[in-house]
Amino acid sequence: MIKRRQFIGLLGGSALGLLSGRAFSEDEDVLSRHIAASVPGPTGASGRVVVVGGGMAGATVAKFLRLWGGSQVQVTLVEQNPDYPSSILSNLVLNGSTTMDRITFKYDTLKNVYGINVVQRTVSGGDIDKAQKRIRAGNAWYPYDRLVLAPGIEFDYSGLPGLEGLSYSQLPLHAWIGGAQTTALRNQIANMPSSGTVVITIPPAPYRCPPGPYERACVIADYLKKKKRGARVIVLDANPDIVAERHGFSTAFAGIYGGIIEYYPGAVITGIDVATRTLQTNVGTIRASVLNVIPPQTAAKVVMDAGLVPFGSVRASVNVLSYESTIAPAIHVIGDSAAASPQPMAGHLANAQGKVCADAIVRILSGRAVDPSPVTNSACFSPITAKTASWLSVVYAYKPPLPGSTGFGRMEAVPASFAEAREASSEHYEKMFKWFGNLMSDTFA
Amino acid sequence: MHCLVRTAFPLALLALSQVVAAETVVPGRLLASNCFQCHGTDGRPVAGLASLAGESASSMYYKMLELRQKTKEDSIMNSHVRGYTDQQLWELSVYFSQLPH
Repeated sequence: MIKRRQFIGLLGGSALGLLSGRAFSEDEDVLSRHIAASVPGPTGASGRVVVVGGGMAGATVAKFLRLWGGSQVQVTLVEQNPDYPSSILSNLVLNGSTTMDRITFKYDTLKNVYGINVVQRTVSGGDIDKAQKRIRAGNAWYPYDRLVLAPGIEFDYSGLPGLEGLSYSQLPLHAWIGGAQTTALRNQIANMPSSGTVVITIPPAPYRCPPGPYERACVIADYLKKKKRGARVIVLDANPDIVAERHGFSTAFAGIYGGIIEYYPGAVITGIDVATRTLQTNVGTIRASVLNVIPPQTAAKVVMDAGLVPFGSVRASVNVLSYESTIAPAIHVIGDSAAASPQPMAGHLANAQGKVCADAIVRILSGRAVDPSPVTNSACFSPITAKTASWLSVVYAYKPPLPGSTGFGRMEAVPASFAEAREASSEHYEKMFKWFGNLMSDTFA
Repeated sequence: MHCLVRTAFPLALLALSQVVAAETVVPGRLLASNCFQCHGTDGRPVAGLASLAGESASSMYYKMLELRQKTKEDSIMNSHVRGYTDQQLWELSVYFSQLPH
């Protein structure tokens, strides 16, 4: 029985923090009636599935393999961390609205309610034995009928002059995976001089969470407005224009954050000196008090080393009907390690991919054909200030390959569904927490 | 509570015998799972927003058609609903109607 308390218990630390008050006070009736999903008996599907990576994609696929596959589908989830610090809403750590503690999720429900074998280990490409269909985690081998890789992103510093070859601790913070770096960036911002400059660099799209960097600039600017008047945020965007919610962010940059945020599209960085936090760019030399370089992102190393990324690409090539690799049979890749454009690299969407993948594997394990026309969706809310938020939404439909071709189909946006909020509001801000609570419960509970 | 819905629409009436998952191909389920991210797994939210499990299929279907017409409100749901065809909206409404509240 997943009741409200149990769900709250999934959050580390001060559980009621972020999701307290308004977020839970409404619909008490609904909460008291909440019935946990449970793993059914045999469904006709049987087999062993190993999932690598317990983030938004991996946790979702593991859960739904059990929920839809039933008791005869054994699932092992290999995850290197003891819990999941959320990247979604982590920008609210930067302005002090919350802490990472409050948005970190445990694997207890996946283990105890869904009977998933959660193994805390790190795996590398060399641990995958494709011929024998087994994967090594620690000292144990885990045989599989299907392997799902959902390990997220790797950062690529090779194209950032001045950063190549630096050790991880020498590099400027990315804070682009929720966790210790988020808190560290928060501390840097809190400790910077009042007249200082925060510099955020945005890599060329596609990158994880399209609205994320602009949202980050907004919440930091909001904080500076209140606590460090005179400080500013410089956004160096490698893209020719704002990549997501163009209307909302450009309005905020010019309006409430005019004079605080300086936005440079088409920015080219020709040099970075980490010691002095100085950047040479096409718009001049910039000295940062706080430097946040968000580097380009590729598939995680385990996916690369498993030979699943075609030459010239940076993410795994997959068939979006099932997310099975187009290179290696019986291995699926979902989430940010998969090349599945135009679907964005985003947690909400990764959850949807997890379900498509789970449904496909359950059918395959029961000798049935996969769904010929899966639908996924991306939706998210972005804080614009400490009290208001905007949203974006898009639904993706499957477009089959052309008749007679040997190619694969792709997911395409349904044009009428592609939208952003007309304006940021406190209503959207409140809704944001409901979305977040339900999304994380759908994924981890 | 299972609502057996009879309809005059020229849409296929889905077989309701597979309500409990003793099957691996469940019509409407994968489609309906698009709603879980905001409305909770199986349409049972933990954090506000509408509960969908066990709701009348025709009520849900008509509600979504109504949202699709709305242009004044700045609501994410009104835009989101435009991503689905009438047939899809019906299929997922039927799926939710079969779930216990």
